[in-house]
Amino acid sequence: MLPDARLDVSLHLHDGAVADVSIRSTRLVQAARLFAGRRPDEVTALLPTVFALCGTAQVLAGLAAMEQASGLPLSAAQAPARELLLLAETVAEHGIGLARDWPPLVGAEPALAAARRIKQAQMRIRPALYPAGDWNRPGGGALEPDVATLSAAITDLRAAVAEALGADIFAIVAGPDSFRAWVDGAASPAARLLAEMSAAPLAGFGRGSFLPMPEQGPADLSVRLEADRDGAYLATPDSAGRVFETGSLARQTWHPLVSALLGDHGPGLLTRLSARLVEVASSLQEMAELVQNLDADLAPSWCLVDGVGLGLVEAARGLLVHRAELEGGRVKRYQILAPTEWNFHPNGPLARGLHGMPATPDLVRHAQLLALAFDPCVACSVTVD
Amino acid sequence: MAVPSRIVAIDGFVATVEAFGTQRQTSLMLLADEVAVGDYVILGAGGQFAAEKVPEDAAHEALAYLSQVLANGEA
Repeated sequence: MLPDARLDVSLHLHDGAVADVSIRSTRLVQAARLFAGRRPDEVTALLPTVFALCGTAQVLAGLAAMEQASGLPLSAAQAPARELLLLAETVAEHGIGLARDWPPLVGAEPALAAARRIKQAQMRIRPALYPAGDWNRPGGGALEPDVATLSAAITDLRAAVAEALGADIFAIVAGPDSFRAWVDGAASPAARLLAEMSAAPLAGFGRGSFLPMPEQGPADLSVRLEADRDGAYLATPDSAGRVFETGSLARQTWHPLVSALLGDHGPGLLTRLSARLVEVASSLQEMAELVQNLDADLAPSWCLVDGVGLGLVEAARGLLVHRAELEGGRVKRYQILAPTEWNFHPNGPLARGLHGMPATPDLVRHAQLLALAFDPCVACSVTVD
Repeated sequence: MAVPSRIVAIDGFVATVEAFGTQRQTSLMLLADEVAVGDYVILGAGGQFAAEKVPEDAAHEALAYLSQVLANGEA
């Protein structure tokens, strides 16, 4: 039996505060090296099943890596279609999370009907772009955008998210005042959760040093991956000793609401959970714009030649990187670096945020909330030693 | 990593699923597709909810790969 991958966070207390944080991961970070010997199209067929939680992002990162390795250009029509698929997954991952996982945190039932509606809307987008089902083909599949179906799916996504939140997401994140009004109105479990998070000192719980991931990843990413023969970098990545954080907060600092919350409370619980709401709104907005600028495209003929490529994708939980070496039409070496390895690094943003937090009776719950705000892709437990 | 699990029984919105000889129960409430006994599903983090239905051939491919992962101990 494959063991369930998980993260175990242990807090060590001293003098009434968290003096040390240890994070143990059982994630199989080197499993992708068993892609060696397979054809590229076999890999892109396998990726969405074995990495189903963010299957779209995994395939798109894999395609980008293998296309770059072969010098295979992507047509101007394929890029926005792929971006639309990626954004739909981001909305679905965050949307389902806030519908399913947030209500129980304030003693409410999960909003499963809304979560299911979000999933159903997301599932309509792929066939409305690539009706032949070849979206995961190197070089791009046969693109035939059905704009009416895509627009309806985006409208449904927005409506289902509103069902979970008790208000339209665009109105909620329009600015600090509208956000405050939604939180104070407590019309949904999500609003009540953020109302609890808004109370001092909880709003700033977990505010550690903030090191957002650079937009194109760390400067030494390619070199470090190439040199990583034992998988140590894949398990605990860094860049010159710095462990970046990646995900909604790192990406959304430009947004007026996130910027205001960062200024008032730092990168703590309230800001992190709110950044996920902002990301849902930003993604929906971008989807609505992209859908107006789609063109049909034939599936190009492709031939993958030998080379090395790096594929970077901003997945729901953060920067996802695939690196592929191709030789003789087959994968020679394959690596995947997932966002969880940055965010749940033993010296990463979660550990930095927990370090120094006071040992209150609610410490474990608050630490669990902080872990949830980082949105791990596997189960995560928190204990005090 | 996600392990495709085969549905061996369904009782309302709760399914009993099996993978690598181990059975567990999971909710079907979040599935976008209809499923029946014999279908394969992927479970979400923690296994509480089935997240996605998987075509049988894709499930077999994935299980073969995951068996290789297990045999190699690729931690």
